[in-house]
Amino acid sequence: MRRHGHVLNGTMTALALTAVLYGPQAGAGEHVDWNDDGTVTLKLGPEYDDRRITVPQEQLGALFGPEEQPFEDVTISVTVNGAGPNGGISGPLYSFRPIWEELSGGKVEIVELPFAEHYTKMMLDLRNGTGQYDAFMVGAFWYGDIAPAGYGFEIGELMDSGDFPQWSYDVMPPSLKTLHHWGDAAYGVLNDADGQVLYYRRSVLEDPEHQAAFKAEYGYDMPVPPATWQQLLDISKYFNGKNWDEHDAEPDSGTVLHLKVGEQGHYHFQSLSASFVVNPGDAVDRTHNVYWFDPTDMTPLINGPGHVKALEFLQALHETGPAAQVGWSLGEAWDYFLRGKAVFVYSWGDVGALCQDESRSVVRGDCASAQLPGSDEYYDMTRKEFVAADPPNVVGNTTGGSWHGVVSNFSANPEAAYSFLALMAIEPVSKMMAMYGWDGVDPGFSYQFLEKDGGTAKVEDYVAAGWDAKDAEDYTHAYKELFYAPTSLTYLRIPGSFEYWDILDKNLSAAMSGSKTAQQALDDTAAAWEPVTKRIGRESQLKDYQEAIGYAP
Amino acid sequence: MRWTSRIRFLFLMPAVLWVLAFTVFPLGYSLYLSFVKIDQTTSVTRVKEPVLDEAGQPVLKSDGTPRTRNVVIKDQTNVTTFVGWNNFARMRSDPQLHEAIRVSLVFVFVAVPLELVLGFLLAVLFNRKLFGRPFFRTVMILPIFATPIAVAYSFFTIFYEEGGPLGWTGVPWLSDPGWALFSVILVDIWQWTPFCFLVFLAALQGVPDELIEAARIDGAGALDLLWRILLPVLQPTIVIVLLLRLAEALKLFDIPFAMTGGGPGVATQPYSLFAFRTGLRFFDLGYASAMAFVLLIVVSIVVTLFFRRLRQTYG
Repeated sequence: MRRHGHVLNGTMTALALTAVLYGPQAGAGEHVDWNDDGTVTLKLGPEYDDRRITVPQEQLGALFGPEEQPFEDVTISVTVNGAGPNGGISGPLYSFRPIWEELSGGKVEIVELPFAEHYTKMMLDLRNGTGQYDAFMVGAFWYGDIAPAGYGFEIGELMDSGDFPQWSYDVMPPSLKTLHHWGDAAYGVLNDADGQVLYYRRSVLEDPEHQAAFKAEYGYDMPVPPATWQQLLDISKYFNGKNWDEHDAEPDSGTVLHLKVGEQGHYHFQSLSASFVVNPGDAVDRTHNVYWFDPTDMTPLINGPGHVKALEFLQALHETGPAAQVGWSLGEAWDYFLRGKAVFVYSWGDVGALCQDESRSVVRGDCASAQLPGSDEYYDMTRKEFVAADPPNVVGNTTGGSWHGVVSNFSANPEAAYSFLALMAIEPVSKMMAMYGWDGVDPGFSYQFLEKDGGTAKVEDYVAAGWDAKDAEDYTHAYKELFYAPTSLTYLRIPGSFEYWDILDKNLSAAMSGSKTAQQALDDTAAAWEPVTKRIGRESQLKDYQEAIGYAP
Repeated sequence: MRWTSRIRFLFLMPAVLWVLAFTVFPLGYSLYLSFVKIDQTTSVTRVKEPVLDEAGQPVLKSDGTPRTRNVVIKDQTNVTTFVGWNNFARMRSDPQLHEAIRVSLVFVFVAVPLELVLGFLLAVLFNRKLFGRPFFRTVMILPIFATPIAVAYSFFTIFYEEGGPLGWTGVPWLSDPGWALFSVILVDIWQWTPFCFLVFLAALQGVPDELIEAARIDGAGALDLLWRILLPVLQPTIVIVLLLRLAEALKLFDIPFAMTGGGPGVATQPYSLFAFRTGLRFFDLGYASAMAFVLLIVVSIVVTLFFRRLRQTYG
């Protein structure tokens, strides 16, 4: 795979610190200061605590300068899931818009679209070739519809030019780097890193009274954190219905899930079922490291025994949470955990950061994180039977959208659009954004991991940003483990991925709400996937699928 | 023909053009789409051209080389294949569509009769002299003026099971498939019963007092008045209201779209929502067009039957 960009040297990185500069300045603007020492200070607003990010001038690329406005009179439009100026993924665009506008002389139009309509609007624009939008903040699962059709702008040349803000794919784990490419071509600009980890209430699980009571009831010591899903279910059952949290007098729950149809419910299934389904192996072959389809003929694997058992397990886990969660979006489920009402939630990085926000969270300092547990058995696709897994079958994931910018190939100003996206991808900006919960930008890059995990961040960086030290250590370690897991869930990003997932999502929702059995729901999913494959073209789908998961026929 | 006669065609022309452009053409085009499969190929060539300053001179980078920008040259080709009745045939064996039809039919057969009955009873009630009648009548019709999407979001909050205003009932308003459909029906009844009420009230106020008084003198009781006088007199109005509500209910979209997302599962996904998703989320335009046409045909048949019945009854 081609390497792009420039890795910053130590000196440059060291200069990239967040501090207010009061020294003499060559050019002080409202949002940007060009300092005499060759650095540039980017001035953020109150949503980022009025932080100042100071970087070497070279890090912003050759085009920007105190006397330069390279995109004067250029207006670019960027689409994003609608969440408002203080919402996930869209928020940072608002925060960095005035900075980029001052640097470039251009204008940014932020086009917020409801999640359910974003893909549609984007595809209408691309299919018609209108170029109404210059860039899109996409989910990685849209790549199959964007890249092979020639709708995305390859950014490799712009990265290598040195003209634009400097960032690199080298900071990404391979599992995330892949999601920003199609084949060898680079499309995605670093922003968010998605994967689900387990969050739990440290003090509650470690409480000696609960430990003793759990052992009396289940016959083994309560492991903290649980190593298997089966243990997690036991613990979840134990805590469900007890008032183990002191913040109110009501009974609390075991595990809270976000299961609303049309939203993020199916991701729970993907992350959980991976350890019941994915057969670990050194390479991707017909029975190892596969999850979605048989890589030889595109037969759906989704209704296999491992998937069915996992869904039955998820149904049992759902019983340990509030019944209403069948209709809950992310925010509702997260808030339930943040209010101290559930002992477990497994979700994205936002939760760990939101735990630290005491205006929303009562669990700061007690918000532990761990990689998702494994299963103590999985369905062996070669032997066609369940086999015990000791140690548990732990499978990493990049579940989610890893929402990031892609420039439209129909944009009249791809350089300007890329320049804006790249500004938010430079190391000090990306590092800072991952520390805030509200902005939806989650960690996954080397400078966000702590030194003990092979990264370059220090726990003090997180503490300075308002984190509890122990929470931060757990959190970054969990993500490091997740993204570098030896076995990982393959990501579905072929044409029609959104449709495959939508079908799965609806059937999962039917199973979770009790109108279908697990087997029925997954059989129906498999049956409905076949016409999609047939319509798009089995041969082309097979080729794209093999390429997407790294299967060599 | 005199010019004064001809000029009327000129005046009609904007309306004719409007109908042709925004009704006939889309209708014809979607019919065409339902019989074809369109494969699109896109090739984009980018040419680098120098960035020029106001004087027309190339802008130079700090290393002295000219700054360039990418200019897009796009070439999109649509390959259209005639697929005959395939898209219509798919409808016979699509379980997702069958489920959507079931949801729509349950909705229509429950919501519409209830709206009519409730609207009629309220109209009868408000046709009498009541204290504060003008005020309550105004309040009664307010839901009609609310945007369905806003209504759906409001009711999403009301039905919220953890801490919502109706949370104390313990009813799984939105999380249980059966209750979720009931909730959608309830919201539609809340919004559209006032419409039935308004039309029936207007019709009731048009019934001559002499007719009622004469019936009373002849010894008619309340039920006799209802069955023998009011319902027959109001039958054309009832048919029109029924027709309008049927056509609207078959097109149900916004309330489940915003309130439940069609879930849980597909428990509240009606036909129109499924067609919308098929066409505009997954770009299976041929199949979605076929679905839209079948709905159009069904609604047209329903309307025709009702009008025929109306003509037979009232000449």
